[in-house]
Amino acid sequence: MSAPDNSPDAAEVNRVQRWFQAVVTHPDGVEAGADSDEAQRLIHLPPGQLERVITRSRALSAAERLAIYANAYHTRLLECLGEVYPMLKRTLGEEAFDGFAFGYLQEYPSRSYTLNELGRHFPRYLEETRPTADSAESQSSPTDSANNELALVEDWPDFLIDLVRLEWAIYDVFDGVGVEGQALLRADQLSGIPPERWPQVQLEPVPCLQLLATRFPVNDYYTALRKANDDEAIAVPSACESFVALTRRQFIVRRYNLSRTEFELLQAIKNGQSLGQAVEHAASVTDDDMDKLAANLKLWFRNWTAEGFFQSVRLLE
Amino acid sequence: MSAKRLGHPHLGLGVGLRTVHFDYILEKHPKVDWFEVISENFMDSRGRPRYVLEQIAERYPVVMHGVSLSIGSTDTLNFEYLRKLKALANDIKPLWISDHVCWTGVAGRNTHDLLPMPLTEKSLKHVVERIRAVQDFLERPFVFENPSTYVGFTGSTLSEWEFIARMAAEANCGLLLDVNNVYVSSVNHDFDPEEFIRSVPHERVVQFHLAGHANRQTHLIDTHDSHVVDPVWKLYRLAHELTGGVSTLLEWDAKIPPFPVLHAEVLKAKQHIGEELADGKMAIMSVEPETDAMALPEVDSAVPHPLHHIAAEVV
Repeated sequence: MSAPDNSPDAAEVNRVQRWFQAVVTHPDGVEAGADSDEAQRLIHLPPGQLERVITRSRALSAAERLAIYANAYHTRLLECLGEVYPMLKRTLGEEAFDGFAFGYLQEYPSRSYTLNELGRHFPRYLEETRPTADSAESQSSPTDSANNELALVEDWPDFLIDLVRLEWAIYDVFDGVGVEGQALLRADQLSGIPPERWPQVQLEPVPCLQLLATRFPVNDYYTALRKANDDEAIAVPSACESFVALTRRQFIVRRYNLSRTEFELLQAIKNGQSLGQAVEHAASVTDDDMDKLAANLKLWFRNWTAEGFFQSVRLLE
Repeated sequence: MSAKRLGHPHLGLGVGLRTVHFDYILEKHPKVDWFEVISENFMDSRGRPRYVLEQIAERYPVVMHGVSLSIGSTDTLNFEYLRKLKALANDIKPLWISDHVCWTGVAGRNTHDLLPMPLTEKSLKHVVERIRAVQDFLERPFVFENPSTYVGFTGSTLSEWEFIARMAAEANCGLLLDVNNVYVSSVNHDFDPEEFIRSVPHERVVQFHLAGHANRQTHLIDTHDSHVVDPVWKLYRLAHELTGGVSTLLEWDAKIPPFPVLHAEVLKAKQHIGEELADGKMAIMSVEPETDAMALPEVDSAVPHPLHHIAAEVV
């Protein structure tokens, strides 16, 4: 909703607001903001003439007063991003994290009424910029051991991107649609289906079930970081294709490691395929032996049902 | 002339609902008069925050307080936001809904800050028109709070209290008088906070806010991270006398203490308005500036509220 209010009274207010926003959100501070082309187009001010627009107080100049808003803008939003991506922040160290987050805010400033949306594009931003280990080092102190260790890992942008994808998924599942208070699929509903009808089974996953394929085992890394003390560095894992399911029970996000086959099977079910189609799909993309796969199905579905992955079942004709 | 407090009840002494206290409130059911909730924390929630709010709204009077209406912005009103606000209100039945006399962004952006309005006739007219539109859409009067501000515009022609008084009369809305904000702004803009309190239309004041702030020596920042200071309590006594008493709410948004400490802080209001009741009149003392002895230590990270964000719970 960015179209301006067109009333004549709004036009002058609009000019001041756009100028103010350009000044206090400028990455290089309020003086650079006031000198920027955008601000100068709106209110032309020679350098050092902020007091033509903003009054000084007894104690502070116009620039110092504007700087309160400028500092607050960046500090507040960096703090919020740090809460959305706590494990990335621990991994990078505060300084390097804030450096990346600061860059992100310049590219993807908030356009939503809610702070819940602020971090949505951070995975995309990292994909686009693929920050190098050098760029993180330049933004962190030399004593930042976790970060130095990261710099040794090849393809570390992929690791960071995987980690933020996991953290965003956790965040999304936490406050998204859930099934608390609703009846879920029971084990006996599945076990009552004759084996010959299993190919026609169609399962409805709970809406909060999310599946993630990652290039690094970030779910295990996330678990290790949670268990570690705040100042304890955790070794960054080597690249290894990994799969995770996330869901929510009793309003708490739960994470489960999956094998590739389990992931493909669940993904196909999420896409609306029958169990028969899903098994065929999983076998074809993983080269798993059909018999071996079929032997695991019972155990997998018993576990997944116990963990509340499915809401209901129906038999296709 | 509007009905006193827009006809809203005097709810007593309440506190702002914050995530860290969810479990305590659900388990202990503390004897709190009422809660104020941040609208944006719940309007999109399909998880625990919304569930907790529904439990609390069943047991306590609740008021909705927003930070993103951006009534002063020159962008068009965000009707998607207003629809969600209305839907939340229909569900949890707040006694009233409030937000701030400010703008939060322009050209489609949101700074998530409560930015100051130029205090001009044009700005006033703009805000009044938008308040009317919001009230028409929500089908209820809205309540607006004076924010803490840190800059003034050379082009301003009205005092903040003139702006607010005329805004309330012309838009026929209610006021949330944030006593701490009056004090913070009075120091930052070198005005007399008593004049502000005396000049707003008292019959339109629906609610008071109290909070702590950070003293940076050259200015104050509305951090909501500490106890209410004595000069603010003195202003509160004055505001109480002039309005006849209205619902009072304590906000605490950073370095949030355990719930009993938070609750005890707002209950201190009883001592202040109790004194008035004891002798039937209250000597209104002039408000002294905060002394060094009362000042809080400087904190480098002092950030004005609002930072309203709920972290995920995960195992």
